[in-house]
This record gives sequence, C-alpha cells and structure tokens, in this order.
Amino acid sequence: MVEASATGNSLENIQHGFKSMITSRMLENKLSALYKAGKIVGGVYLGKGQEAISAALGTVLQKGQDVYAPLIRDQAGRTAFGEELLDVTRTYLGKVTGPMKGRDGNIHRGRPTEGMPAMISHLGASLSYIAGMLFARRMRGDLGDSIGAATFGDGATSTGAFHEGLNLAAVEKLPMIILVVNNCFAYSTPNDRQFACANLVSRAEGYGIAGHHVDGTDFLKCMETMEAAAQAARNGGGPQLVVADVLRLCGHGEHDDAKYIPQEMWDQSRDCIDVAEAQMLANNFLTQEQIDSIKSDAKARVQEAVAIAQREPTPDPRQDDWKALGS
Amino acid sequence: MSITYIEAIHQAQKELLTEVPEVFIYGQDVGSFGGAFKATQGLSDEFPDRVVDSPISEDAMAGMVIGAAVEGARPILEMQFADFSSVAFNQIVNQAATHYYRTGVQVPLTVRLPSGGTPGSGPFHSQNMESLYAHYPGLVVVTPATVADAYGMLKEAVMMDNPVIYCEHKFLYRWLRTDELKYNALPIGQARIVRPGKHATVVTYSAMVHEAVKAAEMLSSDGWEIEVVDLRSVKPIDLDTIMASVARTGRLLALGESYPWGGVTAEVVSQVVAEGFHLLDAPPMRLNSKDTPVPYHPDLWAAHRPTPESIIVSLKHLLRL
Amino acid sequence: MPQVAITMPQLGESIAEATIVKFLVQPGDTVEVDQEVIEVETNKATMGVTTLCGGVITQFQVEAGTSYAVGTQLGLIEATEEEIEATGVTPLGAAPEAEEEVPELIEKTLSHGDNPAIAQQSQMDLTDSIAIEPSVHGLPVPVGTKGASYLSPRMRARMDELGLRAADISAIQGSGAGGRVTIEDLEEFLVSIEDWPKSKASPMRLAVADAMRRSWTRPLATVGMPVVLDKVLAHRKEQNPKPGLTLYILRAFALALKEDPTSAGYLIGENIVHPKAFDIGVAVQVPDGVVVPVIRNADSKTVPQLSAEYAELVDKARERKLGKETFEKGIATVTNFGTFGLVSGTPIPLPNETLILGLGAGVKKPVWSDEANAFVPVTTCELVLTFDHRVVDGGGAGMLLQKVRDYLQQPWML
Repeated sequence: MVEASATGNSLENIQHGFKSMITSRMLENKLSALYKAGKIVGGVYLGKGQEAISAALGTVLQKGQDVYAPLIRDQAGRTAFGEELLDVTRTYLGKVTGPMKGRDGNIHRGRPTEGMPAMISHLGASLSYIAGMLFARRMRGDLGDSIGAATFGDGATSTGAFHEGLNLAAVEKLPMIILVVNNCFAYSTPNDRQFACANLVSRAEGYGIAGHHVDGTDFLKCMETMEAAAQAARNGGGPQLVVADVLRLCGHGEHDDAKYIPQEMWDQSRDCIDVAEAQMLANNFLTQEQIDSIKSDAKARVQEAVAIAQREPTPDPRQDDWKALGS
Repeated sequence: MSITYIEAIHQAQKELLTEVPEVFIYGQDVGSFGGAFKATQGLSDEFPDRVVDSPISEDAMAGMVIGAAVEGARPILEMQFADFSSVAFNQIVNQAATHYYRTGVQVPLTVRLPSGGTPGSGPFHSQNMESLYAHYPGLVVVTPATVADAYGMLKEAVMMDNPVIYCEHKFLYRWLRTDELKYNALPIGQARIVRPGKHATVVTYSAMVHEAVKAAEMLSSDGWEIEVVDLRSVKPIDLDTIMASVARTGRLLALGESYPWGGVTAEVVSQVVAEGFHLLDAPPMRLNSKDTPVPYHPDLWAAHRPTPESIIVSLKHLLRL
Repeated sequence: MPQVAITMPQLGESIAEATIVKFLVQPGDTVEVDQEVIEVETNKATMGVTTLCGGVITQFQVEAGTSYAVGTQLGLIEATEEEIEATGVTPLGAAPEAEEEVPELIEKTLSHGDNPAIAQQSQMDLTDSIAIEPSVHGLPVPVGTKGASYLSPRMRARMDELGLRAADISAIQGSGAGGRVTIEDLEEFLVSIEDWPKSKASPMRLAVADAMRRSWTRPLATVGMPVVLDKVLAHRKEQNPKPGLTLYILRAFALALKEDPTSAGYLIGENIVHPKAFDIGVAVQVPDGVVVPVIRNADSKTVPQLSAEYAELVDKARERKLGKETFEKGIATVTNFGTFGLVSGTPIPLPNETLILGLGAGVKKPVWSDEANAFVPVTTCELVLTFDHRVVDGGGAGMLLQKVRDYLQQPWML
C-alpha cells in the first residue's frame, strides 16, 4: 500500500488521472469502431498503451495556467488536461461545430488561446512553440507558476526541430516538461533504426537539463515522476526531459494492423489500464464499484458525444470564407 | 543629416520597442553585438529582455516566436540572411501560415529577411525568398524599395495581426539614403507608380525598382517614356494599379531579382494576361536573374541579376514587338 | 423500422477498395453497436468492419472473396428508433435536412490607390557595361505588320468596341513598332474624320461589304476572252418567251463546270472540297446592293426549261421576296455587268465560291468572212472569269472559258 501523497499527488489527482485513462480508452475504442464503419474521413490514430504516462502529464498540468502541446497519442493527456469530448468527436467527424470547423481533422485539433496548441504533422515543431509561449509570458512578467509541456515519440527525437527546440528551451531555461514516450516503433521503424544511444534519457545530460526515466505502463510511477518533473520545472529547474517506455498496443493508425511488431513483444507487454486498475484497488484509491461506475459513465459520455456530433452539420464550402489571413 | 535604409529599419525597431511593450526582437547576434548588419545596434542596452540572442536554430527560432505571438507578443524575428530561412521554412509555412485558418487564432509575427545579392556574397547569402513565401496562403510578403517604405512598412508589418515576411534588400542598406524620414502612409497592399510613362510599364519591387528607374531614365533620351510600378508588397498584390498602368501603356515588363522559374514576375504576367489581355499591345515580358545559383564573383554576379543595361535590352525588344 | 447501412470503410489513405474475407455474423443475427460483422482485407491489413448501431442484420449485399470500393453498402441493420436516437446515426431514406439559405459570396474589391509619387533616387553607381542578353525573348514582330495588317490584342479590343474592321482603317499608315497601327493612330484617325459628312450604311450594304471583305482574303485573279454571240442571239429569237442572255451563259457555265468540277472546288486545309451539285447563282442588282439567287441543278435542265423559273427568280429577287435558302449553297456565280454598258470588269466571287463569271456588254464589230469575202457584222462580248488562284491557275481558267465559249456556239445544246 502506498499513500497517495507518496507519489507527490493528491488522491483527487490520482483518481482524475485514472478516470482520464478510462475515458480515453472508451473514446478511442469508439473512434476505431466509427472508422471501421466508414464514418471517419481521414485517419484515426490512437494512444492505446500510452494512457498512463499521457494522463499523468495532463493531470499535473493546470488548465488555465499551464500550456500543453499534446501529440498523436495523447487522448488521455488531453482529457486529463480538460479537453471536452465533443471537441474530439466533432473534429473526428469533420463537423463545422468543432474547434477546427472541418478545416483540419482528427488529432490536429487544439485551442491555442486556452493553453492547448493544435499540432501540425511535422514532428518536433511544437517544442519551440511551447518555449515561445513561455518566453512571451516571462517577458511580460506574468509567467508566475505556469509551465509548459510538449509530447513526442521516439521517432520525433530524430528530427532537427526537436533538437533545435530542446536546445533553445535549455538555453532559455524555460519551465518545461519535454515528454518522450518511447513506444518502440515510429510507424513501423523499430528503435534500433531510430537512435543509437542506450536510453533516450541520456540525452538530457547533453542538453544540460534534468532527465527522468519511467516505466510508462506503471500508472503510479508515472504520476510520481510527472509530478516531480512539474515541481522541478515550476521551481526554476529549467526544462525536464521525461522518457517513458511503453509498447504501442495498436497500429500507427487504424489502417495499420501492426504486423511488424514481433509476437514476443506482444507477449511481454502489459496494458497500463490493467496495471492502473489493480493499483487503484490495491491501494484503496478506488473500489471496484467506483471503477465500474467510472467505466459505465465514461461509456455513456462517449456515446452521447458521438451521437450529438453525428447529428451536427459538416462544413459547407459555400459558407467558408476561404480566407487564410485574418483582418 | 541623412538616413539610410538600414538606419530606417533600426529606427523603426527602436520606436516599436519603445511604443509597443509586446514587441521583442529575436535572432542570431541581435543582442549586444547589434546584428550582422547592425539593424539592432545598441537596442539591447536599452531593452535587454526584449532584444535577445538566439542559438543558431532557425527552425526553433521561428517556432519560438510563433508560440510567443500566439501568447500575445509581437515578435520580430531577424534571420541573419534570408537564405537561412529555408531551415525555418516548415515553421513559417506550416505552423505560422496555417495557424489562423486552422484555429482562428492569428499570429502577429514579423520575419525580417535580409535579402538579395551584393557583390561577393555568393550562393547562400544572396537569395530572394519572396516568391516562395508568397506561394503559401496565410502570409503577407512585403518588399520595401525605399528608405521611407523600409521604415513605414516595418512598423505597419509589426502591428499587423497576420504573419508578415519582410524582405529587406541588403544592397539598399547603405547605398540608399534620404534626407528626411517621412512615411507617406501608403498601406501594405498598395503599389506605387514611381515614374509615370506611356510607352511601357515595368512592374517590379525591392532593389530592382532603382535599376528600372535608371533604365527608364536612360531610355528617356531616345524619347521613350517608361512607367515604373513598385509593387511594395508582393502579397497581397495590387492588381488594380498594375492594370491601370498597363492600360495606359499597352506593354508590360515584369522585373525581379529572384530566379526566373515561376515567382512574382510570372504571377504578374499571368494575372495581367488573364484579366487584361485586351490591354496589351505586345506579348508581356519577364526579366529575372539567370536560372543558376547566385554566383560569388562580382563580375558573374553583375551579369546574373538584371541591370539597367539588361533592362534596357528587354525594354527595347518589348517596344519593338 | 429504420434501416442503417453497413459501409465499406476507408482503410488507409491510399486504399480504394477491400476484399470481403468472411462474414462474422449472419442475416437474422442481433448485433451490438461497434460490433465487428465483416472481415475485410486490403493490401495493407486485415480489419473488421463495424456497425454504427445495434439491431438485427437483415441482409448482406456483397459476397466473400470479392473486392468492393470504399463507400460500398455492404449490408443492412434494422434498428429501433431508440437506438437511432441514442447513436445519432442517419438511417437510410431519412429526409435530408432542409437546405439553409446560402448568403451570396461577397467579393471584396480592392480600391485602386492612385498615388503617383516619385520615390527616392538611389545613389548606386552603375555597374560597368558588359555584354548582355535578355533572359527572355518575346515573339518576333510578325511579317508584314505595316498598317492595319497586324492588330495587337489591345487594338482588337478597341476596334471590337467601335465595331471596326481592319479594312476600315486601311487609311492609317501606322506609327507603331514595324509600322503597326497603334491605339493613338486609330484615335487620331477617328478624330480626323469626325467633321466629314456621314450616312448610315444599310444592312444590305453591310452584308455585301462583309462578303466582299471575307472573299478578298484570298488571292483572286481575273482572265477574259471575247465570244461571238450571234448564234445565241439567233436561237433566243426563236424561243417564246425569249430567255435572257445571262441564262445562256449560266447554262453554258454549268455544262463546262460539269466537265471539270474540281475547278469550282474550295481549298480547305490540304483538301479540295468538290461541288455536290451544279447550282449556279446569278447576280441581281437591287437598290443599294447585290443579291445572288441560285438556280438548282443548272446542268440538268435546258435553257427553255429554265426560262420561266429564271425569270421569276430574278423578278422576285428584285422585289426582295426570296427566302434565305434561295441564296445558299451555290458553287459559282454569273454576273451580267454588261447591262450597265460595261464591256469588261473584275468581279469578286462570293466568299464561299471559287469562281465568278462576268459578261460584258455586247458590241457589234466588223469581222472578215471568207465565205462572204467581205467584212460582216458580228455581235461579241467579253467573258471574264475571276478565280481563287489557290485552286485554279490561269491555264485552267482559260480552258474553262473556252468550254463556255464553245457551248455558246452550239446554243441548241443548251
């Protein structure tokens, strides 16, 4: 048994993180089903197996204060940070009511003025963007306790943008968490074709920043590591590189059956949701009844968000103003 | 007392830093060193937190100022040379340019690109990037040709809520001077008729405006009256002024210092032909640099870019057609 | 109950179709929402197609082992109204939502800023003069551009606006490049004729002008030959009513052309287009113009047979009572300018015809006769033939005229 405080988190935070994982999994299962029913134009990219670390980051960040640039597999983090389910379903279903109005889709959604930039497909690009947001606050003198975070995969660490951005953030000593979720495959490319160091966390030293390494399937460890990183960043410790090891429990997108993942890797893997559920019960953070109720509630909310979005209009090309410049 | 083109840029930045607290300048060596071309000389003494040296990371520099602009700042990003902005291309065209259309949130960012050739600068310190950036939706691209425009358009660019690519010409930095800095307040998006004429129109921008004016003066001794239009901003492009000029003269030479394939001059010709074929007395012509990288040796360089002499050759040909 | 479609999904960005591997449920089975019901395979992966709502599978409309395009309806689920409501899906046949009124797109027009201002002059030195070639070359000045022969797009646009043709401004010498007529030249010319007296050209005049202008785009040449008319005139006297002299010429022309139809052909591209019938027109002077009604199949009817038809046609033409079809599809024309006392001329064929045969006024001449051993009076006239020199040469034109002349010496054959 561990006390919630032993992880550096309140019980409420741990429950919030867990609930976000469950909601995210329910939502992504639904998105996958909608995709396989031909309802979604464009790709569906899921974060199965990465919910624990993602939700931990989303939980330790404060919406309205901190800024967070999620990436492709961060539904849990987005949900934990406070993204509305309707933003997700409306964007995936291409509805004009969504935050992107049908002009961009799936995971490219965001609300930049509410602390969540909308990612572009070019990996590594969000690191310097978050750095700039923090820089502007510091220049203005209202940085306060706020921190920023950006997520990357093992593949993104190979881009020039990632290196340039991380170095810039380090030079400016910005209060940032740079989360690298190593899920073993960049699309189909395994780690040994992506980088040559033993562990990506060793890079922290080269940039002159703090590094943290965590098993991304262990929810409580994720919460503990992420809270520690957030505290360090808030307390002037500069950028914090967090590397979490997981296995992606799905294809790159739902069009990909991930046959390139060897069977033994599947056999050795564990689902962070199962781990988290056991941890919640073992530590009396939640009862089985509470977990069941979280699940049925999540399922109902997902179904409702889908049903509402289904009935809403798609964008009308005759009504779009077709303007790329604001006034 | 006179003021040069680069001094006008310096002056505009100084005033912006003084008057607008959201403004900051970011770039390589812009701090105490004062920038490779001294456009920020002394500014970091006065504004130490707002004139900031960056690492040599054009991609991250651009990403950083985009994030800052979304947070309400009005950054000026100085690329040391326009050529190096190719490293930041992704952030500029995919992050900044798409931002408003995708999210509804504007990016009030100005990227200063020291552009164009000077003798001896060679392939990587001489390029003109305006055509590339103008190709992308979501960017304003300006190309000031005069000291007054260098000053006024920079101030206007920084106060715009859209991302602006500000192409300043290095060749004009110290050659071009004016006695008094007065801004004529012609807004971005409007072209200027620099020299009225009636036999042919030269549509051009940036440093080529001066080469065109020289060519026009040399031709005037033969009785030719050449009208010169300075686009000022290549995007948005002021088709009205171009059309009105071509309607007066019936002949068009689109002149630019950048490479000949596609680009601003091709756009000018295609728009005039599409909308004003009936105005033309002769096939419209283009004159650009040669289709090679910008050469290093001054003799090669001088032959690579349009000069008053080559403009005259083109104009004489055009006037015979 | 509402029916909901099971649809072939888009299984990857470049995937256009997928093959049905097997059905995981059967018609009649009850299914849940999001249940996988069909296994499909693409060249990238194997996937399950899911349901959009729960219900009963009523049918599958596809077969295993076969490939179907993305978007194909694969089967149907019968669902309850409650299920439709809960999932938000649109059942088949549901009425589409009423079209909203679309506001018209408003085009923003940039205002034209008229701010001519002389910019700062630079103080750059000129680079040393070196050999320069223009990096682009325009089209060369077209050959023969002097005067109104080559018109720029701007000149054409201005002339269209004024309703002018190149021929109308032939008076202008042209001061532009290569002697071309410029807009300024044109405007000057128009001003110069402003105070001259003018009258409106009639539609007939304009129609003739248009036909002649079009015809004149071709290289036309004219040849002439005297013919003795006495035999024709004698034959004519024996007829009742007496046929017109022009009709004899027309008939002789038709028979001559029948022997050599290619001389009446038109050159189009690389082909000579041959006449389909020997329909010959006759020029009839009317007030302020000329009309050319056509005698059909002039090769197959004799002069006496044609006489009444011809007289009626000419009368009606003068009274302007002929329909449009009467003037169409002639292959050549006969014109008797002799009726105006003219002994010779160079008529211009219609733009759609290659040939025109002209007939001068008859002249009595003394001609030596061996038989009578004395000069005897004969009536002659000049026959002229204008032809498109692209199709017919001088020799061919001469031979055609000889044939006409020979027929005229045997009027009983006409």
